[in-house]
Amino acid sequence: MLRWSSAENGTDADLTAVAAGEGDVGLDHGDALVRFASATTTDDDFELAASREALVAETDEAFMVDAAAVAANFEMMTRLADGTGAAMPAAAVESQAKISQAYGVADLTSQR
Amino acid sequence: MEVRPDLADAHREAWEHLAEPGSWWTGEQRLEVANTVLDALADAEPIPPWGSISAVEGRLPISPSAPAFAHDVAYRVARHAGTLTEDWYRKASEELGPLPYVELVGIVTTVAAVSRFCRSIGVDVPEFPSPVSGEPTGDVPADVVDPELNWVPVAAPADQTAAVVQAYSAVPGELGNLWRMASAQYMPAEEMIDPMWQRREGGLTRPQTELVASRVAQLRECFY
Repeated sequence: MLRWSSAENGTDADLTAVAAGEGDVGLDHGDALVRFASATTTDDDFELAASREALVAETDEAFMVDAAAVAANFEMMTRLADGTGAAMPAAAVESQAKISQAYGVADLTSQR
Repeated sequence: MEVRPDLADAHREAWEHLAEPGSWWTGEQRLEVANTVLDALADAEPIPPWGSISAVEGRLPISPSAPAFAHDVAYRVARHAGTLTEDWYRKASEELGPLPYVELVGIVTTVAAVSRFCRSIGVDVPEFPSPVSGEPTGDVPADVVDPELNWVPVAAPADQTAAVVQAYSAVPGELGNLWRMASAQYMPAEEMIDPMWQRREGGLTRPQTELVASRVAQLRECFY
């Protein structure tokens, strides 16, 4: 979805930067979004607060709340996918091989 | 901290949904499991995937209304979802029943979303409402089948939509709650085909939205 939506928007998101958790990914506020999204998944309260403040400083509070909501949605959907054994159709797995490689999917226990 | 009204409403309704009898669990059982999920997510020294919260003294109510094994399953899905295997699911569904298992996963995903959102924006997680009395509804679609794309049973016809879309279809209450939350947190389902979609001017663009989604999914080690 990131590659598709960024291409349609005339940008070229750098998936390797997302996977590495570094860089702006080629998007406005990409650095701050990657840092905040990463921090939401950790138990590090200090880094979460710092990344939240950095994102608000670059954008505004409503933007940060929207980003937190998206992160929350994927706390939900990842557990749904893993808990219900959701799998991609074979054709989708084949067509997304490059993306899977960028994210190191082959090394995940949850791979199906 | 101001939260837009549609999102605040979706999360308030999600908490109310947890307190109501589901298809398979009472409101009291659902809230008891929801508390275990909160415990799992906040656990500074998490029980490892091969462990059980029910085996640790003092972690569950003295006389839990839900089976101890249901708490073990909820803890594992909440804290170690990326480690789940089909063999583990088969054992869990044999013990609990496949559709009660699906409802448990629905409780986990609801609590994970709301509690993580609160933590992310720096506010306290709201208290759960009081449980709504009553027996489980037993609400099940007329035709439930085993799909190719999920471990869990789904409402027929199977595999006509994405696996994450059909995953809760055999437990209608969880399905409805999921999509109410997803619409407010991520985007309405009908907008997903629009790469230019933006909730409001000045808000996250679609690529920025997908950037956050991708990073969280990657860090949660979710294959899907």
